[in-house]
Amino acid sequence: MKGYGSALALFALPPRCDASYTRGMTATADRVEDLGREAREALAAAGDEDALEAWRTGTLGRSGTLTGILRGLGDLEPDERREVGRAANVLKNELEAALEARSAELRGAALAASVVEGAVDVTLPGRPRRRGGLHPITQTMREITEVFERMGFATVDGPEVETDDYNFQRLRIPTNHPARDMQDTFWIEPDRTLLRTHTSPIQIRYMDSHEPPIRICVPGRTYRYEATDATHEWMFHQVELLAVDEGISLADLKGTLQEFARALFGSERKVLIRNGYFAYVEPGVELAVDCFACPGDDPKCAVCRGAGWLEIMGAGMVHPELLEAAGYDSSRYTGFAAGMGPERIAMLKYGITDIRNFYANDLRFLRQF
Amino acid sequence: MLVSLKWLSEYVDLPAGLDADDLAHRLTMASAEVEGIVRVGAQWDRELVTVGSVLAVEPHPDADRLRLATVDYGGEAPQQVVCGAPNVAEGQRIAFAREGAPLVDSRSGEPSVLKVATIRGVESSGMVLSERELGISEEHEGILVLPDDAPIGEPLRDYLGDVILDVHIWPNRPDMMNMAGIAREVAAIIGGEVRLPDASYAEAGGPVADAVAVTIDDPAFCARYVATVIEGVTVAPSPQWMQDRLRAAGQRPINNVVDITNYVMFELGQPLHAFDLTAIEGTVVVRTADEGERLRTLDGEDRVLATDTLLITDDSGPIALAGVMGGASTEVSEGTTSILLEAATFDAPTTRRTSTRLNLRSEASSRFERGLSADLTMHAARRATQLFVDLCGGTAREGAIDVYPRPHESPTVHVPRERLDTVIGFSVPDDEVERGLGVLGFEVTTADDGWDVTAPWWRTDVSIADDIAEEVVRIAGYDRLPATTLGGRIPAHEPRPLASLREQLRDALADSGLHEVLTYSLTSDEALRRVVPAERLDGVPLLRIHNPMSSEREVLRNSLRPGVLEVVDRNIRAGVDEIAIFEIAHVYVPVDGEELPDERDQLVGVVCGVEGDRWGQRGDRQLDFFDAKGVLVDALARVGVSIEFVAGEEFGMLPGRVATLNAGGEPVGVIGELHPSTLAQFGIEQPVALFEMDLPALLPHVPERREVAGVPRFPAVEQDLALIVDDDVPAAALQQMIEQSRLVGNARVFDVYRGEQLPDGKKSVAFSIHYQAIDRTLTGEDANKEQARIVKRLTREFGAEQRA
Repeated sequence: MKGYGSALALFALPPRCDASYTRGMTATADRVEDLGREAREALAAAGDEDALEAWRTGTLGRSGTLTGILRGLGDLEPDERREVGRAANVLKNELEAALEARSAELRGAALAASVVEGAVDVTLPGRPRRRGGLHPITQTMREITEVFERMGFATVDGPEVETDDYNFQRLRIPTNHPARDMQDTFWIEPDRTLLRTHTSPIQIRYMDSHEPPIRICVPGRTYRYEATDATHEWMFHQVELLAVDEGISLADLKGTLQEFARALFGSERKVLIRNGYFAYVEPGVELAVDCFACPGDDPKCAVCRGAGWLEIMGAGMVHPELLEAAGYDSSRYTGFAAGMGPERIAMLKYGITDIRNFYANDLRFLRQF
Repeated sequence: MLVSLKWLSEYVDLPAGLDADDLAHRLTMASAEVEGIVRVGAQWDRELVTVGSVLAVEPHPDADRLRLATVDYGGEAPQQVVCGAPNVAEGQRIAFAREGAPLVDSRSGEPSVLKVATIRGVESSGMVLSERELGISEEHEGILVLPDDAPIGEPLRDYLGDVILDVHIWPNRPDMMNMAGIAREVAAIIGGEVRLPDASYAEAGGPVADAVAVTIDDPAFCARYVATVIEGVTVAPSPQWMQDRLRAAGQRPINNVVDITNYVMFELGQPLHAFDLTAIEGTVVVRTADEGERLRTLDGEDRVLATDTLLITDDSGPIALAGVMGGASTEVSEGTTSILLEAATFDAPTTRRTSTRLNLRSEASSRFERGLSADLTMHAARRATQLFVDLCGGTAREGAIDVYPRPHESPTVHVPRERLDTVIGFSVPDDEVERGLGVLGFEVTTADDGWDVTAPWWRTDVSIADDIAEEVVRIAGYDRLPATTLGGRIPAHEPRPLASLREQLRDALADSGLHEVLTYSLTSDEALRRVVPAERLDGVPLLRIHNPMSSEREVLRNSLRPGVLEVVDRNIRAGVDEIAIFEIAHVYVPVDGEELPDERDQLVGVVCGVEGDRWGQRGDRQLDFFDAKGVLVDALARVGVSIEFVAGEEFGMLPGRVATLNAGGEPVGVIGELHPSTLAQFGIEQPVALFEMDLPALLPHVPERREVAGVPRFPAVEQDLALIVDDDVPAAALQQMIEQSRLVGNARVFDVYRGEQLPDGKKSVAFSIHYQAIDRTLTGEDANKEQARIVKRLTREFGAEQRA
């Protein structure tokens, strides 16, 4: 209010005669000079936007003091009018600029004050948002299928409830074959269908309905009649891979899976192939990658336990009998097949030591993915 | 299979300094995975645990049960120790430990260090050891007695130490399930010659054929039957070295006769059976069981035999389950003196069927079911007979019975070089191919375009060129395979609209704040009955597991609800306040006339608990129907589907809080709050909102392409409109009518009020309406006029009244 008061005082300033007039200056010119001085002082004293507005109205407004002088110019002698007019206009420009500057100054000060007031403890937690997420196995299966899709493998599905024929017989695992020990089975009443023990039946289904070249990738649920422990679940997932074309070799299998291993576990990964056996491939192999968590010889490594290698899948060249049964000429076409477990891969990637975490679905576990 | 390297070295020279880890790695790479390595005696101190000799045994002056043994352990002077073992005797070679030796405490089984002790006044600073104290078995009734020729003072680790490999043998390699077979593989992989044991013995007492006759009914079930007869046998414990080896192989020693049959099985791979010859009546016949036949097996069980069971019989009837278990009537007992030794080749699937059905899986059956070579029988029979003569004091009759109706011939496989290269992917040089196959025992002759290869008699798993390719590449080394990329045409990818809808919905629901769960496909009748109406369960039968692991997992689910509700319960119990989850998985519905069920992708989402506050703590607001609806609408908008919510009813849900989800006028799912009594059956005591959708039903309503409206060019006028209507008028119906106006861009509910200011049975619904024209700027006046027209229509249709 202090600024407002001085503006009012200025407004009320009476016309004056000054005895010190020496260089032909008139009383009006004097008043311009006084007004300028006092207006500057009042402006400097104006402390907020309201005071500034009052000052503006009192000085530069429609009935402001300076406006009054400019309006009264017509009553003056021409010489004086010219002189006073110039001085008043100079003053008007000056005061307008000063007002703008003062206003900016006040805004700056206000902002600075509000910044100080608005300071927060930046170490307090952020506002929580409800966030969802995909199950780690879904994420891992997508990661796997995406890598293979880039290599031209189409993702396809197959049924979980299968016949003995597709799950076993046509994969060269007849009834009473010891290879059935590797895959204890849940049987379904009464027709002796079963829960597929692997995703491999899709090899037969797909070859039955398609002609080479074939490149498919089959993710899905699988089941085995097995006691559950830290590394075994009776329900789990597999991703099956099948490629059939002219001239496909074991070396192509190695190259394809090496690219896969590098995409998932890092570009430096090496693939280790060793002898393996699955009735529906020949030669059969098992694949491992070198440990990504240690240099390969750390006996305390939580991931490889000093082995240096991590087994990640079984694979091999499609047995010619399967190709012939699908109506392909096995002397012209060869192929490879591979099967891997997303649970195992996720456990390796995330350092999970108990497979049972996946299907306990504890949100405290799931929220970490 | 457990492989003692000490035993193995009898058949193949292991290079001096060969590291067991290295051997294990090379076996794993080329032929069979070594799953574990046990170093027997690795913890025995070389200085402090040695072979000793008991020089004298005297009674303890102050205790009846204890004795004082003076032991020469190879040190400067013999040492006297207190010994509690009943079997300690003068002249024995024993394992002796001195002060400071790390051992296993015989009482606790924990590791301990031997300390000087004063026992009943006599100081004892050493110990004569039991097997348990050495950590090699649980035996601690008496001390371990070593053979008489054990060298006094030799570190026990050198004398008795061993490395045992646990080798996982693939089902196609029965030839490797024995020491000789492992020796062959090791020799092929690291080099060296295989030495098989000599099997010669003196024969006496006339031809075997005078003592017994054997016939095979059907050669399809028994390819070969070899038998010898040993007379004058004394049944007694087998010698220590044999017992040690059997134990190393994981087999408990019984008596010399049984131990010899087991020993030869572990040594050569041929399961054998010893009958008490005097108990056999007439001719031995190998045949399948007749209807209703019975046999008491040597485990004392009376078994009724299925007609496909292969039997060994005599004139009295069945005397053994072929390849599976002997019969009680012909069992070798302490008084047995004459033995009929059987070495036969039984049909693999038949043996497996019988052993599986009777739950009698054994070392023998596991070998037969993999398909043994008939050529193995004679050598094994002679080797066992030799041991009977040497170790049981028996006399072998001359020759052997050998019924071999169709002699086996190893096939010769033609292997074109081109095929080898195609399958492997690089060209293994000729000499390497031939050398590799040679060390594995294959006979190789060159042909025009490659080779003709004959498998050795023990390999029953080789029949095509690709089998030979595996042999070549595993000996050449898989590490030499180049890593090549697939060439050729990339086949077309077929569109999978359902799968792509499924994956889009997964992303959308996760983005809307739900966590995906994966629950078991198997559930129980009981769990399903809580959420599926009885008439539906009775109408379409569930797919039932014939061999369930538990009653909680006995049927394939036809609803995803139990799975997620179980997850809700578990998380509430774990103290999780806010639970928002979904699952997309199959339900399984049997289809008439189809072998396989319809596996339908369904979606279920559940929201419950209380919203967290600004600090992520338990807040005040209970999540409800509208939280679930918000998530669902949001997710469906992502796939371009708009859903109509029509008040409805659903089994297990709270009446008045259920809506059917319609797309294009057809039901595709349901949303609602679950009935407290349903929840109680899952142990849940707080409100739960759930939605469920059938994706194949939803799919036709997912637009193939989505149209996007342009941004309006002219500004909108926003006006509020509060309507008083009957309580049962759905807000969506009012909204729909408002939005029918050409000048309305959209209308949104922003408040619903019931209470004092309104009559009973009435509610006020307030809308915020955007008026908009596509061709001009609307004025307030235009909006007012249009709003009046809208109110008129609402009054006509719904009896709505504008609230002042």
